[in-house]
Amino acid sequence: MEPGTETEVLLFQEDPRWHAGQKTIGIKGFLETSFLDWPGKVVSVLFLPGCNFRCPFCHNHALVLNPGGLEEIPRTYIIARLAELEGWVDGVCISGGEPTIHPRLPSLIAEIKGLGLPIKLDTNGSRPHIVKSLVEKGLVDCVAMDVKAPLNETSYAKAAGTPVDLEKIRESIDFLLQGEIEYHFRTTVVPALHKGEDLLDLARHLSGSSSLTLQNFNPDDPLDPKLKGTTPYTEEWLQQMREQIASIIHH
Amino acid sequence: MVTVTDIREKQRSIVPGDTTDMALFVRTSEEAMEGWDRQRIVDALMRETYIDPDTAEVISQEVEDIIRSSTINMVTTPLIRELVDAKLIERGLEEVRKQHTRLGMPLYDVNQLIMHPNKENANVPHGPEATNLTLAETIKKEYALLHVFSQEVADAHMRGDIHLHDLGFIDRPYCSGQSLEYIKKFGLNLPNSLSMAKPAKHPEVLLAHMVKFAAGLQSHFAGAIGWDAVNLFFAPYLVGMGDKEVRQLAQMLIFEFSQQAVARGGQAIFTDLNLYWEVPKHFRDVPAIGPNGEFTGKIYQDYLKEARRFVWALFDVYQEGDGSGRPFFFPKPLVHITEDFFRDPDHQQFLNHICAIASEKGNTYFVFDRGETAKISECCRLSFKLEASDLEDARQPWKMRYSALQNVTLNLPRIGYVSDGNDTKLFEKVSHFMELAVRAHLEKKSFLERLLSLGDEGPLALLTMNQDGESYLRMHRATYLIGMVGLNEMVKAHTGQEMHESKEAFKFSLQVIAHMKLLADKMSKRFGMRFVLEQTPAESTAYRFAKLDMRFHSPQAGHIIKGDIAQGEIYYTNSTYLSSDAVMNPIERVRQEGLFHPLIDAGSLTHIWLGESRPSPESLASFVTKTFQLTQNDQIAFSPEFTTCNECARTARGLMNNCPYCGSEDVDGITRITGYFTKISSWNKGKLGELKDRHRNQAFIKKDQNGQHTQLDV
Repeated sequence: MEPGTETEVLLFQEDPRWHAGQKTIGIKGFLETSFLDWPGKVVSVLFLPGCNFRCPFCHNHALVLNPGGLEEIPRTYIIARLAELEGWVDGVCISGGEPTIHPRLPSLIAEIKGLGLPIKLDTNGSRPHIVKSLVEKGLVDCVAMDVKAPLNETSYAKAAGTPVDLEKIRESIDFLLQGEIEYHFRTTVVPALHKGEDLLDLARHLSGSSSLTLQNFNPDDPLDPKLKGTTPYTEEWLQQMREQIASIIHH
Repeated sequence: MVTVTDIREKQRSIVPGDTTDMALFVRTSEEAMEGWDRQRIVDALMRETYIDPDTAEVISQEVEDIIRSSTINMVTTPLIRELVDAKLIERGLEEVRKQHTRLGMPLYDVNQLIMHPNKENANVPHGPEATNLTLAETIKKEYALLHVFSQEVADAHMRGDIHLHDLGFIDRPYCSGQSLEYIKKFGLNLPNSLSMAKPAKHPEVLLAHMVKFAAGLQSHFAGAIGWDAVNLFFAPYLVGMGDKEVRQLAQMLIFEFSQQAVARGGQAIFTDLNLYWEVPKHFRDVPAIGPNGEFTGKIYQDYLKEARRFVWALFDVYQEGDGSGRPFFFPKPLVHITEDFFRDPDHQQFLNHICAIASEKGNTYFVFDRGETAKISECCRLSFKLEASDLEDARQPWKMRYSALQNVTLNLPRIGYVSDGNDTKLFEKVSHFMELAVRAHLEKKSFLERLLSLGDEGPLALLTMNQDGESYLRMHRATYLIGMVGLNEMVKAHTGQEMHESKEAFKFSLQVIAHMKLLADKMSKRFGMRFVLEQTPAESTAYRFAKLDMRFHSPQAGHIIKGDIAQGEIYYTNSTYLSSDAVMNPIERVRQEGLFHPLIDAGSLTHIWLGESRPSPESLASFVTKTFQLTQNDQIAFSPEFTTCNECARTARGLMNNCPYCGSEDVDGITRITGYFTKISSWNKGKLGELKDRHRNQAFIKKDQNGQHTQLDV
């Protein structure tokens, strides 16, 4: 690249395309680069508003409870930026909130796929028919599903902040376990919600899966103010659990 | 009580000395002035200045009268000297007064220094050795400004138009790149050491030689000591060693250099290890030197396997971190990524390995040698591009010793303030500052040449030692660095926009650096010296310039300077960097900053601040590969942040007020300051201001009532 051929560096809001764009699906967050959302890839992440869960530990709660307080990012702007990042971005993660509650999700994904970019979908697994249909249409290349707690009504309702139809969760898990596409399970571990035994129990539901990632709860600004500032588990404890879990799921 | 004659006796035995060196304290009383000898004022004036004897005599008489008629009961030598100086001023003898100047420090300052840590350089711990260093530096700095540099250059430094780096190390070159081959071939035979060691037989001994030589070099250079192709040059010694032994050696090497905080001034030796996965082209067919300093009969390409095992093991050690899991601050590993690197079938595995360390500990520097370029890196980012003659020297790698003699940095924002938005004026001013820098280089060069000409008997004997037909310091291959601070703020002062805010501002900033590059090349031709642009690390300069501009260029500077003015945490953006608070993804940053790198011959670096996120190593590997292929960026490093607990000795990711393990408040934050990791508690105010502003990755834009937008962390 020669000096002078540089792309424009502007704040989002100053880009003329920002104002020209239509706002149809209500994308509320756009992270142009992430090194951690899809292992092995440099990805962009889109955040869609709203969620059918109310997990007390959620750290994106502005997106869930008050999406109106966040500026909407025009779809056309995002598509244009993704085109500019061609060669750098290996894929796009659709995250939230819970993306599967949006009726226009397939059309959004189709448009991004049109750029030749693979798609990873983050979901809580509560709407398996959406996930299945996206996979069947070849719109999604990877699914990361949050498994909130062991699959019993009380634990799950507590961790999701709302009653959950566990049949749907199981259906999603079983579908992913068939291995049609790349998948990841992950659990955010909160001392108030998970004891060690719960995690092992949870892992047993995922037996045969390729992986379950435990991520530590971040007490800075969770959805439920009661959890704010509470102490998370230590890294060492989590590491121990990871090892025990690995031996369960690979069994 | 000593008598006057005793003092005279002693004075004769100590020559030359301070005017009144023996009578450090002259006690006066109504009857007598014990230990007083007026003649010593005359002697000093005659010895040190061009004054005529009669005037000296009269002045000494006048000073004696003042002391006699005063009520002071203890007179110190500095006071006597100041009284004499005052008399010289009265007579308008300005030149004589200058010659008679005394260098030193006020009592208050010395007390502060002994009691409190030094914040100018976060790599200096606090202790008696460090205090010695600072005291010595203070005097040498004054000496340099009064005696080595012309008044014009010294004044420009004092005003803050330019910054002369490491003035306290005026009697040494700035920094250097070394080859292990020198000690492999010649052993350790240093001019001042008490014994001579023959070339090493065993790898552990080679390491011991390397460490000692590094310490020797540290006391002859102001800054970093870089080592070329360390894993490759160790390789001939590693033949037949088991994995465990190789790992042990790697561990020894890293700990030796990480714990050298016992050397000069208690400062760790700023060590750079240049590392390669493949055998670089220029060393491939070179005859290898092995145990006893003898040629092994093979070429370096034959030692690929050992070189790889060693570099892999070094990174295993980095991954583990020190005894409490912290990242090693030194030695810094710089991995050279070349075209051939990607041709190697196993490169991905190694790239993932070093990216895992980049993600977890942040140590890895990725140095990109595209096309036929080859470099030796040292210091925060400095590197020497190897020229044709160097590649010839590569046949005899012990010859590959490089040095930058001095670093001078321009205060670019100030040029912005005084140019009234007029391009011509601005470029003229840049040229003027560049000329000042060149003049400073000429002056330091001639001073160093004087020291070097003393040879064995001189203070730089180590640098003049001659084992291979030329002196260790090869002056003909020396470079002279010209750096810059605050391109971003200069452009803002001039165009009203920061570099990332508009295409025009960015283009203009490129023009400024291109102009500087052109001038440097021109001056090089004119003087037959290598003037090269460098990205000044500016650990304290960015703060110093900002403070001086607040003083001399307010209120304008107040609108331009970064950081928190009320807290005094102010700074300028380093070198040609985009503002550290610019909302910009790492791709843009690497791409945009990379556009400057081809203009900056002495090396550049783009930082990617990771904060507390722990990225996937494979994702980083993908990013590194693309940076090599798609940009002109010279070098990148990923910088995570850590909190280390002084109570339970454990280390966690992210900057926190309390230890996440034991809850203790006795914690230190750790991250990269400019080009190396260190504890945040040792940072100066300017850098603290920058740390708060450093942009990590952000995704959301929050609306507020005024229609203003604020960025939120993810």
